[in-house]
Amino acid sequence: MSNDVVNKTRRNLLIGATTAVGAVGAVGIAVPFVGSWNPSAKAKAAGAPVKFNMSKIEPGAMVTVEWRGKPVYVLRRTPEALASLKKVEEFGFIRDPKSEVPQQPKYAQNEARAIKEEFAILLGVCTHLGCSPLYRPDVGAADLGGDKWQGGFFCPCHGSKYDLAGRVYVGVPAPTNLEVPKHYYESESVVIIGEDQGA
Amino acid sequence: MNWVVNQLAGLWGWVDNRLPVQKAWDTHMGKYYAPKNFNFWYFFGVLSLLVLVNQLVTGIWLTMSYTPTAEAAFASVEYIMRDVEYGDLLRYMHSTGASAFFVVVYLHMFRGLMYGSYKSPRELVWIFGMTIYLVLMAEAFMGYVLPWGQMSYWGAQVIVSLFGAIPVIGEDLVQWIRGDYLISGITLNRFFALHVVALPIVLLALVVMHILALHDKHVGSNNPDGVEIKKHKDENGIPLDGVPFHPYYTVHDLVGISVFLFVFCFIMFFMPEMGGFFLEKANFEEANNLKTPLHIAPVWYFTPFYAVLRAVTMEIGPLNAKFLGFVAMAAAIAILFVLPWLDRSKVKSIRYRGWIARVMLMSFAAMFVVLGYLGVQAPTEGRTLLSQIATVFYFAYFVTMPVWTTPDLAKAKSKLSFVLCGVFAVIFAAMTVSYIKADVPALLLGFCVFLTVIFAVLPLLASRDHVLVEPERVQAKGLPLHIVLGGLALFLILMIVPIKAVANTGAFDCGAVPCDKMEVNLHDKESLQRGAKYFTNYCMGCHSAKYSRFGRVAEDLEIPPELMEGNLILGGQRSGQLMEIAMRPAQAKVWFGVAPPDLSLVTRVRSPEWVYTYLRNFYKDDARPWGVNNRVFPNVGMPHVLIGPQGLQECGPGPKLNHHGHAARNTIGELEVDEHCGGLVEGSIKGTMKKEEFDQAAYDLVNFMAYLAEPGALKREEMGKRVLFFILIFAACAFFLNKEFWRNIH
Repeated sequence: MSNDVVNKTRRNLLIGATTAVGAVGAVGIAVPFVGSWNPSAKAKAAGAPVKFNMSKIEPGAMVTVEWRGKPVYVLRRTPEALASLKKVEEFGFIRDPKSEVPQQPKYAQNEARAIKEEFAILLGVCTHLGCSPLYRPDVGAADLGGDKWQGGFFCPCHGSKYDLAGRVYVGVPAPTNLEVPKHYYESESVVIIGEDQGA
Repeated sequence: MNWVVNQLAGLWGWVDNRLPVQKAWDTHMGKYYAPKNFNFWYFFGVLSLLVLVNQLVTGIWLTMSYTPTAEAAFASVEYIMRDVEYGDLLRYMHSTGASAFFVVVYLHMFRGLMYGSYKSPRELVWIFGMTIYLVLMAEAFMGYVLPWGQMSYWGAQVIVSLFGAIPVIGEDLVQWIRGDYLISGITLNRFFALHVVALPIVLLALVVMHILALHDKHVGSNNPDGVEIKKHKDENGIPLDGVPFHPYYTVHDLVGISVFLFVFCFIMFFMPEMGGFFLEKANFEEANNLKTPLHIAPVWYFTPFYAVLRAVTMEIGPLNAKFLGFVAMAAAIAILFVLPWLDRSKVKSIRYRGWIARVMLMSFAAMFVVLGYLGVQAPTEGRTLLSQIATVFYFAYFVTMPVWTTPDLAKAKSKLSFVLCGVFAVIFAAMTVSYIKADVPALLLGFCVFLTVIFAVLPLLASRDHVLVEPERVQAKGLPLHIVLGGLALFLILMIVPIKAVANTGAFDCGAVPCDKMEVNLHDKESLQRGAKYFTNYCMGCHSAKYSRFGRVAEDLEIPPELMEGNLILGGQRSGQLMEIAMRPAQAKVWFGVAPPDLSLVTRVRSPEWVYTYLRNFYKDDARPWGVNNRVFPNVGMPHVLIGPQGLQECGPGPKLNHHGHAARNTIGELEVDEHCGGLVEGSIKGTMKKEEFDQAAYDLVNFMAYLAEPGALKREEMGKRVLFFILIFAACAFFLNKEFWRNIH
């Protein structure tokens, strides 16, 4: 029979075509398996931005808000507290006074590290090894250096210190300032934490 | 370039010197010579393997999101269906795969029966195969428990209770299996461990044995002619009628695989419940240990054996029906294991067997399907008789097999033959007598009498039958078309006629009335949006939809988020949250008698038609606590929430309906009237909507609930179209590739 001779070109073409289509199919089959590892609607809902009404906080008090399973410290700073930010900077305690390391969104890269300087919004996770620093507003606390302590955050795990804007002290294990999460003000007193404006 | 090739070749040599890769490839693929005359029946082996891989991979992925506890299992399955990206696909691949597994395995087994693939030297192949089947049943059963729906629960209850039939140790054994005094989270946990770890390992090991036993150098594949290709080899020891598995059967199987995938994906993407056969309706309701569903049936692949279990209603001395049913069911499976020794025929294939063997095989297949059908139906007297006939035939097929497969059929008239066949003739006769006065179709009694006669004279018939001469070498063509079609016709008649004789009669789908028609349309966004509004306003006061999320609804129905938050989300919930309500089930139970059920899945538990008819069939009934009753759900605990828009209907005369839901007529052809509540008429309390407006509102509401039951349905179907299109392209490639390779094989 004449067609007993293998037509190599035709055969290779068919092998190539089937392999190519099969490869596309294999990628297609992989899609749901890969895709299912993305955060689910439940994870996304749990990680959604949180709304918080600032007017609930007394001046000088701090409230912890949970966002994506992490503590967010919302602090209402008094005029004295804001003044202390200048003092610690003058004393030379602060490692990164201008917040040059990008631990905050652009709109919070200022001395108070905030959109409104009265309110500090900080991620309560020590930049050393992830413990939650304690809020220690008590100026002059004996255990934190006596007269030199101007109020701030103290991490009980390894002794890192931050001022009332979450800026890290020199000579402590933590390398950078506390992170400022994305946030914006929906109204005068209501803040949305976890999202930039217009996102 | 050359350097790379040399290096790779070196690496390959290094590995192959240390691991028998080339040898394994040659043994199982490259130099495994398979008969060249395989027909489509030979696809089902490789398809079983394909489905096994699908089950393993999707199963592993499902465990990543599933929670094996009584409290969270059901919700975690809905979580997979709704919240996990592509979770619904993974779940449907697994659930459809489970049924597909049994489809291909049953066809694979039937192939074996037809062509005598279990006969020497393949007895072990058959036994490993049967063991796989047995383990597969255990695997499927335990897997079905995991979603923790009503069917999961009550199926487990029934199957585990079976072991209670064993005398003396039964009750303790059942308790040991459950690990509790009832089927509980403890049972679920151990079934989970067995389903995802232990049994898959056993299954894989058995599959390896099955294939090793087949690929042994003295065995090899059988073929539709049932002759051994290894008898005729060329000078190199290669069977003359064999072709290397690779590439010939790999390209050939690609065609079978693409056809299979097309059917599989069609079902998976467009009808994943398969009308309640693959995913049963009651299983969309969470397990409740205090309430058995009205109708409980195992999944279709167990129903033949379930029917055998139920068919046994007699008692023998101290042995009760429960125990004997269990024994019959176990025996029905066990007898398959000894098949290689029951078949005494000197030819393997149906092509060369006598007429009796051919008719018997088709009848057996038909009776197996009949048993499967009966297993999903509620028992009636007629069905019980039919299941008994089919069960006895099932055993008769195997027990009398030595008679009609005797190597020299003329010698079938031995005393033993008459005894073996006579036993069944007596049983069929006894059945005829005991049912003669019962309310069963005459056709079945006739069938019974017919079988009595057939089995009484079977040895005589067998002695007149004859076996054809097997060819020396494999043939290109099978049985003549008219015989094949005749066999198919015999199968269909024996399957359909008895089923028709005991088919469903009566019972409406919607309580006292037939369901009103409604067709869900998920493309109608406006209807869905209106439905969402009615749902949050009228339903969510008391009912939650706790597996669904507000945000997803807004997104899918194209409702602007602000509008959703402003108007639809009540009680200050956030849009990502689940649609839960503040009412506690305990309080609700005090107020309504029963806690209002969660509505996420109500249209899957019932049907959209049911809910639609239900919502429109409330009527005034002062005897009830809320002053209303319902024709679809009599004495329901729910007040008529839609009384505002609908008003309150009252009972009035209307056409009387017959069993089929058509208007009944009396003997002279006049329409009969049901004076009591044949119809509902407008009462003194009028609604704000006209009837058509209200029907539309009810439609919108149910349409929305249908969306809510499976938010991903629309997306799934769209994806399905693209997948099917792609498979067609692949099938075309595979078809031509196969043709190219087989061009020179004659």
